[in-house]
Amino acid sequence: METSILGFKCKSCGHVHYPNRARCRKCHNPEFEIVPLPKTGTLLTYTHAHALPGDFEVPKLTLGIVLLENGNRITGQLDIPNPRIGMKVQGRIDTVRKTGYQTFKGMIFREI
Amino acid sequence: MRDVFAIGLGITSFTRLEYPLIEIAAYSSLMALKDCGLDRVDHVYVANMGGGRVNKQTALGSALVDHLSLCPAGAETIENGPASGASAIKTAYMAIASGLHDIVMVTGCERMNEVNSLDATDFVASLAHPLAEQIYGVTLPSLAGMFTRLYMEKYGVTSRHLAMVAVKNHDHALLNPFAHVRQAITLEGILDDKDAATNNPIIADPLRFFDLCPVSDGAATVILATADVAKKCGRPMVRLAGVGQATDTHAVHERDEPTDLLAVRGAAEKALGMAGLKPSEVNVAELHDAFTILEIVESEEVGFFKKGEGHLALAEGYTRLGGKLPINPSGGLKAKGHPVGATGVGQAHEIITQLRGEARKRQVSGARIGLTTNFGGFGNNVVSLVFTKEN
Repeated sequence: METSILGFKCKSCGHVHYPNRARCRKCHNPEFEIVPLPKTGTLLTYTHAHALPGDFEVPKLTLGIVLLENGNRITGQLDIPNPRIGMKVQGRIDTVRKTGYQTFKGMIFREI
Repeated sequence: MRDVFAIGLGITSFTRLEYPLIEIAAYSSLMALKDCGLDRVDHVYVANMGGGRVNKQTALGSALVDHLSLCPAGAETIENGPASGASAIKTAYMAIASGLHDIVMVTGCERMNEVNSLDATDFVASLAHPLAEQIYGVTLPSLAGMFTRLYMEKYGVTSRHLAMVAVKNHDHALLNPFAHVRQAITLEGILDDKDAATNNPIIADPLRFFDLCPVSDGAATVILATADVAKKCGRPMVRLAGVGQATDTHAVHERDEPTDLLAVRGAAEKALGMAGLKPSEVNVAELHDAFTILEIVESEEVGFFKKGEGHLALAEGYTRLGGKLPINPSGGLKAKGHPVGATGVGQAHEIITQLRGEARKRQVSGARIGLTTNFGGFGNNVVSLVFTKEN
C-alpha cells in the first residue's frame, strides 16, 4: 500500500483534520475515520530557514505550507530551489528528520 | 472582586548573565521588595519556560520562595511558553481579586545562555506542533518567515517596514539601561549598504538577522496587592485594570485565515473590555516583537490601527517615542531582549514604570493607560494586560 499522511475525518460532520485532535473542531464529536491525505496541492507560503536545530546537518531547509487538493493544509519540506506562492506541487513521503535515536518520515514537495 | 494594584518593581539587565537562574530571579525579586518597602508576601509565582530543560531545575517557585526566606508563603511555577510572564501576572490578579491573597510576587526568569544557540533554538522550537511542524525542522523564526511572506503579499509590507521596527526599537533601547542590545542601527546600514548582506544575513527569508530578537537571560518582578496595601506603600498607584487571554490552533497551518492573529485580537479585546477602555484611549504599549513583523501585526490586532495599516502608522513615526502612541519604549523584545519566561513580566514592568512617570529618558509624557501583549507559541496562546494610573 502506498504510504500516506493521514487525515482524521469527523464521523459526525465529515470535517477532515490534520493533524489529529481529540475532538472535532467544528462539532466537538470525538470519533474519527482515518483517511489518506492527497499529495498534490498549491504552495501557500514558504521560507528558506537557516539557524536550524542542531540535529539537521544542512545549512538551510526550505519549508512551506501547502493547500492540498482536498482543502486541507499541511506544513512540509520543499525540494524546490526557487519556490513561488501559488505554484502546483507534488509531495512524497520521505525521511525529514533524524535525531539520535529516531527517524521521522514526512512530506517533501517538489514542483509539478 | 477586589481591585489589584502594582506596588513593587524589579528587573535585571536582559543580557547574557553568568549567574545561576535562581540568583537571577532573586535579584529582581529583592529589588521589587525594596521598591515597595515590604518584607513579606503571601504568595510567589515564578514564570519560566526552560528551567527543567535548559537549566535542569524544576519547581522554581519552591526554590525561589525559600531562597528569599519567604517560607511558608505559597509558591508555584507558571509555564505558558513565551506568555508565561503575563500568565503568572494574570494568576496573581485572580488570587488577589478573589480575596485569597493580599500581596503576591510575580517573578519571571530565564537563563537561555546556559546552552549553545543550536540547543536554545531546538528548545524554543519545542513549542511547535510535534507531529505536524517539529519533525520538519520548523522553528519559530521559520513560522515567522512564512507568516511574513504572506503579510507582504497581502498588505504591501516591505523589508523596509520591518527594518523600521528594528531601527525604532534599537533607538528606544539606547534609552533603557536594562536593555540587551544597545546599538544604534540605520536603514541604510542594514538594508542598503554594500555589506548589508553580511551585516544582516537571511535567517528565515524574508526575515533577516535584525528582524529577530536576541536570546537573553534575565528576570523581572512585579509585586501586586490590594488597594489597602498599595496605599500604605506610598508608591504611585497603578491598577491592573484588565486581563485577557485567548488561544488559537497549535499547528499554524490550521488557521482559517493565516494572516490573522486571532488570539492577539481576542486577548486585547477582553483586557480592554474588562478595563472599560477603547484601543484609542491607550497611551503606551509593549507588544511582543520577537520578530519585527509581529509588532506591526499586533498593533493592528489589538485595535490601534486597521488591519493592513500598522506599517503605515509605523512609517509615519506614530509609534516612535515622541509619536502619538509609542510602542515598545523599552526597546521591546527586539532590543530590550527576550528572556522567554521573564518577557511578559518585563513588559508589565515597563508599562508600570511609564505610568508611574519613572521612565526617565524614555518617558511617554502624560501616560495614564498602558497595554501589554505577551504572545505564546506562534500566537496560539496570548495574554494581554491593561494598566491604568489612578489618582
